[in-house]
Amino acid sequence: MSTKQDDHSPWPEGYDRVVLDSVDSTMAEAMRRAPDIQRPTWIMAKTQTAARGRRGRKWVVPEGNLNATLIFRPEATPAEAAKRSFLAANALYQALAIYISADKLSLKWPNDVLLSGGKVAGILLESSGQGPFVDWLSIGIGVNLRHTPEGVEDASFAPISLANAGGEDVSPKDFLSTVADAYATQEAKLLRLGFDRIRDDWMSNAARLGEVITARTGREDVTGIFDSIDRDGNLVLITGTGPRAIPAADVFF
Amino acid sequence: MGNKTSHDSDVSFIAALAELLRDNDLTELQVKRDYGENDSLNVRVSRQTQTIVQASAPAAAAPAAAPSAPAMPAAAPASDTTDPANHPGAVTSPMVGTVYMAAEPGAAPFATVGATVAEGDTILIIEAMKTMNHIPAPRAGTIKRILVEDGGPVEFGAPLVIIE
Repeated sequence: MSTKQDDHSPWPEGYDRVVLDSVDSTMAEAMRRAPDIQRPTWIMAKTQTAARGRRGRKWVVPEGNLNATLIFRPEATPAEAAKRSFLAANALYQALAIYISADKLSLKWPNDVLLSGGKVAGILLESSGQGPFVDWLSIGIGVNLRHTPEGVEDASFAPISLANAGGEDVSPKDFLSTVADAYATQEAKLLRLGFDRIRDDWMSNAARLGEVITARTGREDVTGIFDSIDRDGNLVLITGTGPRAIPAADVFF
Repeated sequence: MGNKTSHDSDVSFIAALAELLRDNDLTELQVKRDYGENDSLNVRVSRQTQTIVQASAPAAAAPAAAPSAPAMPAAAPASDTTDPANHPGAVTSPMVGTVYMAAEPGAAPFATVGATVAEGDTILIIEAMKTMNHIPAPRAGTIKRILVEDGGPVEFGAPLVIIE
């Protein structure tokens, strides 16, 4: 392992960066700043006092791990905005693959990056708007860089950190540059090549493709063969009663 | 039918189709959505010609969000029944996904029947692909009806709440 210094990584053009010592959560901060941002802006905090995951789930953030949120105004309908889940997952996968062997990384629908099968990161998106376009979209990314969170109970995928898995040591600020750069590339790719290309990239790194997995929606568990993701980003499972396209669920395997 | 909201939502749906058409270099795209009995949206978008929108009366039943959930908007000046989608105060869904009435399980709901809301207040969240899309009140008013259930699925164009 080697130790890198901050601020040696390139920062993507057209994006602003705000680094805070402490904040309740970068998602909440992004929502507060949404009316005033001029350009896509990454907000990073060294510590968060009220971090949260999907549906209010606890997200533990020891210092030395990354907490950051990108806030911007894509010209996108809510359904198009939601596809950014895959862009974010691809970007995070590529950023992590710089610091550890990509053989250890895989993706779980829609935006979980797994390291040696464990949860190394979390991505959460929020948007607002009735249409046609969203008013804003925020993409929150938490990455266990140096520390594996303790006291995480009932986690379906055990927490793991980049450091514990044998990855290179990287500071949160440096890692933010890496992931911001990778994300900007994903946006450029979406613009030039369309979502199909984003989807192909995602599928090529997906865990359990062609195998049986379970998607837990608010109402039911759907078990089937993981066939693909469709052009809308839905998870497609081949079940006993035919294919099912699922827009929102937690995936287990 | 004077239903600005569902009209707008149909328009944005068609705009999204047109974008899809362009992005994927297709020449024609036809989508039929069955929202309920006597209520469907039939859209054909083709390039270098024009957009054709027509409503028809399909036989098939729709996978509605919930048994209590009503039918959804038709694009044409058709029905004028008690369908809440045709209510001028209806707020419709801009996307397919799962509805959440509160920020997290156990938290107070964003909106309750009888509550007053200001324009821009979040009235519920629709999730797709781990993206929580806040649905803002398009205008100030009182929540008269809530037409979806917490945790239930919702289709594009489905009426969510009625604000008067």
